Amino acid sequence: MEQSTRPLEGLKVVELSIAIAAPSCGRMLAYFGADVMKLESLQYPDVVRLFGSAWARTPEYASVFTDTSPYLPEMNANKRSIGLNLKVGAAVDAAKKLIANADVFLTNYSTPAVTDLGLDAATLRALNPRLVYAALPAFGSDPSLPYYPFISWGPNQAPLVGLDAVTGFPDQEPAGVASFAPPDYFAGLHALMAVLTALESRDQTGEGSWVDLSQFGTTVAALGPYLLDEQLSGTVVERSGNRSAWYAPQGVYPSRGEDRWVAVSVTDDAAWQGLAGLLDRAGPAATGGETGFAADPGLATAEGRRERHDRLDTALAAWSSTRSAAQAAVELQAVGVAAHPVNDTEAMLVDPQLAEYRWYQAVPCFRFPDGDLVGGCALRLEDTPGHWEWAFPTMGEHTAEVLGSVAGLSEAEITELVEQGAAYVPAEPGLSLHRPYQHLLGLLGLKGASR
Amino acid sequence: MTTPSSPSPTAAQPWAGLKVVERDGLCSSYATRLWAALGAEVVVLEPPGGHAYRHLPPFAPGTGEPEGSLWWAFLAQNKRSVVVEPGSDAEQALLAAADVVFDEPAPPVVTPTPLHDRQVYVAITPFGLHGPRANWRGSDLVAWAAAGLSYVTGFPDRPPVALSSMNFASHVTAMQALGAAMMALFARKQTGRGQLVDLSMQQANAALHPEVGVPLVLDDAVHRGRSGNRRAVSRPWGLYPCTDGYASIIIVQPAHWMNMAAWLVEVTGVDALADPAFNDMAVRWEAAEFIDDMTEQLTTGMSKQELFVEGQRRNIPITPVNTVADLGRDPHLEASGFWLDADHPVIGPHRSPGAPFSGGSGWWSWTRAPLLGEHTDDVVARWTAGS
Repeated sequence: MEQSTRPLEGLKVVELSIAIAAPSCGRMLAYFGADVMKLESLQYPDVVRLFGSAWARTPEYASVFTDTSPYLPEMNANKRSIGLNLKVGAAVDAAKKLIANADVFLTNYSTPAVTDLGLDAATLRALNPRLVYAALPAFGSDPSLPYYPFISWGPNQAPLVGLDAVTGFPDQEPAGVASFAPPDYFAGLHALMAVLTALESRDQTGEGSWVDLSQFGTTVAALGPYLLDEQLSGTVVERSGNRSAWYAPQGVYPSRGEDRWVAVSVTDDAAWQGLAGLLDRAGPAATGGETGFAADPGLATAEGRRERHDRLDTALAAWSSTRSAAQAAVELQAVGVAAHPVNDTEAMLVDPQLAEYRWYQAVPCFRFPDGDLVGGCALRLEDTPGHWEWAFPTMGEHTAEVLGSVAGLSEAEITELVEQGAAYVPAEPGLSLHRPYQHLLGLLGLKGASR
Repeated sequence: MTTPSSPSPTAAQPWAGLKVVERDGLCSSYATRLWAALGAEVVVLEPPGGHAYRHLPPFAPGTGEPEGSLWWAFLAQNKRSVVVEPGSDAEQALLAAADVVFDEPAPPVVTPTPLHDRQVYVAITPFGLHGPRANWRGSDLVAWAAAGLSYVTGFPDRPPVALSSMNFASHVTAMQALGAAMMALFARKQTGRGQLVDLSMQQANAALHPEVGVPLVLDDAVHRGRSGNRRAVSRPWGLYPCTDGYASIIIVQPAHWMNMAAWLVEVTGVDALADPAFNDMAVRWEAAEFIDDMTEQLTTGMSKQELFVEGQRRNIPITPVNTVADLGRDPHLEASGFWLDADHPVIGPHRSPGAPFSGGSGWWSWTRAPLLGEHTDDVVARWTAGS
């Protein structure tokens, strides 16, 4: 098959990043062909490298521990790793030579941190006027603002921006969004928009720009309508479990098995007629004693159904709890009702739609030559698709080639940087690793071509 | 800001001149609002009864459909409203004039085709355009469930929960759809051709799953469940009660714990907290009950904003659990120019969240949400002249 050119082939991105917010943006750019060069330090590694892996906490793997985290492909697939100790002047000089030849500098380091390193917007934009400088610190880059020096992780941005207070049931304390950090990914998506907009602007004007994105502000805006409501009417939106302000009934209902659930949304009156018929056919014994749903005029509107939501929940739960979540979802979808099993992580692995789109793929890389597992990218362009080329870079894997070909350093200069500890090349290049589950990849159909 | 009734893009706006059509649906509006503020001409094709968002509560006090929905007032900012009969020739002519179309085809789904060679057609569906569940119906809640996000949210003894009332999964989908559309426009610069984008709401939100994701769970063989509002990895890690609600305290780094320990000793007088053994987050997890008890002695005596400001002064990552009322009064948002002053003939004056990032000068411009059909004549005349 003829290989199409990906939209960002030729674009050079230098990334100085930590955890999720900036890396998730850089990863999408790399999926579409950008050369994303991640600056990494052994002294101050990205937390994603520090997590490592439980099985690698032995002396045997100590030297390659930072190549073992299963998060690495999730955040850094397709990127090149440039090992530089930026606390050393010579390394900063090398980084600047790299950035002088780059199109985009992407960072979520705090503004004081990039300023200390001499990689602040004013310096880099003077060095390279065509540069798109994209920064996404937690609270923006303006030192005059109250929270400028504050620290936060993704997990405590969610409470700050208002997501935790509205997550959970009204009869108990907020559940919050504790297991993952929506604001990190949301900021990464806004950063993608910002970078592509700045590149579009540069195509027209010839000049780069400085995009400054506050993680705080981006996610607060997601509550827009409720912020307006509070302002205009004084109403403070409350936790509503899984119920909708629009639809009824809507909820997560028990199904057969331990901690198994099905999510159901009756999004309009036609869907209600489908559900009502299903419950009526099941009969009162299967729905907690109620019947006659379809004929009940009080239930024909969302408003009427909302008033009797508790009773509808009881009936639906009685019906769903005698079925598997998948069976319940199939039966509901067959009568036009939006429904899906509540996937746990294990279910994600075998989800038929994710499998159809090859969401999870084992892709080879330097440290895992038989492949490491990479999660997908939702941006499916039919004619110029992105693809994964390698799962993740080993720490310092591309230091020498990039400092040579992109920054223009001589071989002797690179050797000197490495010898003085200003640059890193991979530890134990001959050591290949395998995941404990490597034998499952073939069985699960996740092996094969990287596209 | 948003007083003018019609957007008038300027040359300084990066996307000026781009024609974008948005059809009736919930999953592109969040992002097209921003695209329009950056200069794209975003036309919402509304059925005569009005776009779905016009009918959804909350409504501004004393108002109703079709102009008073605060969803519409917020998400339709900067856009133009054109009323056309679905399936009509007029609709077809407008679609054919667009550079980019955002569409949410209902089942049974027929794979759409761009209407001309240079058009980017973004088809947003719950599960994608092909596969065994391509015709399944979806919702915001269903997307959370299908993306693995609900299962890990909530308390272990209660059902999984989602941010369903916020429509957050739809907003995430919108941002992914916008990224894809922009990417396709960059491809068009090289190829001269548009293309179809197949955007699945499930996949858009599965992108938020890595912290509890398949690669992680296969690697350590530990099932990820719900852990309530404190994560089962260390302490303090999660929400703690205070005088006016809750504050979030998440301590990973030893230096942050030492700052926290010093504060706890001040408040509780329990010197044992300063034992260096607790610098190890695994040790604090073993002593979770003790650490939580001490932490609550501190937090229950202060307000969330006091804990936030004093905690941050001590270099401890503490944030308040804000409500929309708190955010409306937040001093940082206030000082950063986050709020835009808006006016609207039905809703009246109000403040609205503004630009999510700053960029080049003159990039952003803002107008209020359009009235139903406000731009029908203007857009039809300009877009379909000569056709």
